[in-house]
Amino acid sequence: MAFSANLEMTGSEARITLEGELDAAVADQFRQTVERAAQEKPQKLVLFMDKLQFMASAGLRVLVFAKQRMGRDVAIYVIGATGPVLNTMQMSGFHQAVYLRESYP
Amino acid sequence: MIQHSLPASLAALSDIRRLVTQACQTAGLSEEATYRLALAVDEIATNIITHGYEEQGLTGDIVVSLGQTDQELTVLLEDTGVAYDPRTQTMPTAEDLDKPLDDREIGGLGIFLALAGVDRFDYQRIDNMNRNLFAMNLA
Repeated sequence: MAFSANLEMTGSEARITLEGELDAAVADQFRQTVERAAQEKPQKLVLFMDKLQFMASAGLRVLVFAKQRMGRDVAIYVIGATGPVLNTMQMSGFHQAVYLRESYP
Repeated sequence: MIQHSLPASLAALSDIRRLVTQACQTAGLSEEATYRLALAVDEIATNIITHGYEEQGLTGDIVVSLGQTDQELTVLLEDTGVAYDPRTQTMPTAEDLDKPLDDREIGGLGIFLALAGVDRFDYQRIDNMNRNLFAMNLA
């Protein structure tokens, strides 16, 4: 399934909806979306992953980039990650570094 | 054993995953094991394409061979890029994996995810070819 990363700014929140398969071939699309979000200087980054079917380490590296680009004070929320995508985050220790939520208001 | 030859380009990653996933479904592997194998193959293929070919200014193919015995499903990746044994990569420690994202090194996770996700991994360099073998138990 084709990958997409769509950014929506809601107040001081940057919301990015990820869909499809996130591998090294498309990770730069995600990184560029994070970069656009960073330029808005959000206080919170919310990533909706319920429609993300696959995530390779290239996707995890973009999460590291997001944190380092936006700064320590910008919390990253991961919403709806399930099954193997969640498992990949757990194996890599990322579940401790972001706020995991099943849903988001 | 069924062989497929694909150009060593990142655009081929989704095709490689599709081939692996189809073989897993035919072999009756669970969805969870299928994902782990597809991720492992994807990570090593990414390294081959990026570091083995592109960064060296080389072009070439990746040959994907799918095999099955009573005991296991195997995927063999063969390439003629620069020699590299993934088992020589330093694995992140528990302390590394506990670090906040601000302090993380970017990189090093792909091979960790690949080798941790499969039941058996082997590497050989034969003549000018890298041979990365992945296996999942069928039982």
